Amino acid sequence: MAEDRIKFLKLGLYFVAGVIMVRLFFVQIIQNKMWVAKAEEQHTMENKILAKRGEIYMMDGSEPVAVVMNEKVYTVVVDPMAADEEELRGLIFGEDMKENLVASEEEVFRDRTRRYFLVARNVGTQKAKQIREAEPAGVWLKEGTKRVYPEGELGARLLGFVNAEGEGQYGVEGALNKELKGTDGLLKTVADVNRVALSIGNDNVKIPAKDGEDVVLTIDRNVQNNVERILKEKMEEFGKDQASAVVMNPNTGEILAMANLPGYDPANYAEVESADVFINRVTEDPYEPASVCKAFTFATGVDLGVLGPETTYYNNGYEVIDGWKINNASQYDSLLGPTSIQKALNWSLNTGSIYALKLIGGDANRITEEGRKKLYEYYTEKFGLGKETGVELYENLGLIGDPVEGDGRDSLYANMTFGQNMLVTMMQVISGYNTLVNGGKKVTPSVVEGEMVGGELVKKERGEGEQVISEETSRVMREMLWGTRTTYRANGTDPAGYYIGGKTGTAQVIRDGKYSMDEWVATYVGFGGTEGELPEYTVMVRIWKDGETTSAETYALPIFSEISNYMINYLKLRPKQE
Amino acid sequence: MRESSSAWVRNRNTVRYTPKSLGSVSQTVILGVLVLVVGLIYVTQGTKATGFDYELSKVESEIAELEAKKEDLAVERARLTSIASNNQSTVAANMEVAEVSGYAE
Repeated sequence: MAEDRIKFLKLGLYFVAGVIMVRLFFVQIIQNKMWVAKAEEQHTMENKILAKRGEIYMMDGSEPVAVVMNEKVYTVVVDPMAADEEELRGLIFGEDMKENLVASEEEVFRDRTRRYFLVARNVGTQKAKQIREAEPAGVWLKEGTKRVYPEGELGARLLGFVNAEGEGQYGVEGALNKELKGTDGLLKTVADVNRVALSIGNDNVKIPAKDGEDVVLTIDRNVQNNVERILKEKMEEFGKDQASAVVMNPNTGEILAMANLPGYDPANYAEVESADVFINRVTEDPYEPASVCKAFTFATGVDLGVLGPETTYYNNGYEVIDGWKINNASQYDSLLGPTSIQKALNWSLNTGSIYALKLIGGDANRITEEGRKKLYEYYTEKFGLGKETGVELYENLGLIGDPVEGDGRDSLYANMTFGQNMLVTMMQVISGYNTLVNGGKKVTPSVVEGEMVGGELVKKERGEGEQVISEETSRVMREMLWGTRTTYRANGTDPAGYYIGGKTGTAQVIRDGKYSMDEWVATYVGFGGTEGELPEYTVMVRIWKDGETTSAETYALPIFSEISNYMINYLKLRPKQE
Repeated sequence: MRESSSAWVRNRNTVRYTPKSLGSVSQTVILGVLVLVVGLIYVTQGTKATGFDYELSKVESEIAELEAKKEDLAVERARLTSIASNNQSTVAANMEVAEVSGYAE
């Protein structure tokens, strides 16, 4: 009897052992992967190590200063079911969190079945520490960073902003997003119940984050600030609503200021009324440059040796090309008759630049294909019109018509000699002027001075620039532009002992497919420096208001003069001693 | 006569050698104790390593906190030295506009 019981017990034990064995087989062999994954999920911690976005610096004289920085901020998330409303009232819904709250206490606790409620954004580190130390139930803090702008709106349309996904948009933030963003790292490690990373375990992975580059711009914040101030004052004085200006070193291509008004607050970029204010009009907005292009046409002729400032032609006040009558803007009787190229530039005579195109083509009586081809080559290859300038920003190429293909090429090119029927950016125009006045070199415009490494500025290497027109052509053009500015000099605003030249451009605007007679955009581009030396700066100004006539002499020239006088003082340029 | 009795001889100092061995229970207990000791050593070392991890985690948190403070201070410094705040300072507000001066000839 006893033996039977033992046998029965044995059988029972074998059966239980068998069941366990079968279960173990299923768990360890058949369902192995699933259980391993579940175990790993519980005891391993996988965190992205966020790369720090690079900061942006401007120059303050020779010292870099941060103008776009990062600030650690937290997002507060509440689980209404687990949270204690009383506890959170003072801690999260208090007065000190007023600016950060995106949901009120009432909204959060109205429906307690919700498990996730985003309550506050951009909470500072001190407040986050206070919340963390209070250890409230059902509250999480999510770490993040936000861009801060110590200089406020200064250079906003140049700098751009970073959107909620952490991607740079517009300006430097957008164009240099890859360099600024960096690469996130990874931390995968065994963790205990408190989610503390443990060093035990064979599969721990730590890939450090690669922080973004701290980019230093060539922009000098003092020049930028003053250019923006001057533009703002003049816009108010003249009643205009759009203005842009750029200041460069013509010898190196460094951009010292790039201003576009109206601006916006990049810290609150979502509050703008129109995305139009994000556009950097200096590089992204092609327009018809008008008479500033005459300097390029005359420089082409001078460089080819077919004309000089004293070359004379007969000015009728108009020209007829391909059946189209092209008039001069200035119709004074005193300008009719034999006229020099210098006088044509001084008075911005369209007939003078058309005559130059004829000479470039080798026939003083008509425009030839050869002339069109040569002008196209100089415009695009040597002066860079209609081409990427190479500046480290978003660029719009514009449009320069083909010299051969298409109808009405003579008429098109006649218009192009004085900057109509073509689209270029301000960046292209001022870069071309740099070549005209710096001794004939084509230098790449640049907005990047270098990178901050370990708190020190490591400067970017710059090329010498290719000699595209002769030094003599450049000298002649400086003289011609000086002569032109002298003609239009506004009541002696240029101080004595300095060599300042420039050219106006008043461009008609195309509305509904044809040139409007009531809407004009004013531009002025010029250079300045000590007499007898190469120019130290070039400045280009553009000002307008939709639906209004804005002439260059009245509106753009005074702005140039004020910026030019500021630059003379800021760069501490010495006047030529007699 | 048993073989062992031959060792008993009058007036001789003799020692009786009796083979001694541990019983199976003792062996099991000793093995168990050894395993326990090794286990304790392992657990002690493991805990020690985990203790370092906690220490490390605490130090890393402190570093992160200090870095955040440093960043906050850098931002504050940049704000205080910005052109906008300089222009709005009481010093700037009390400045007088420079007037043209005559120079002695």
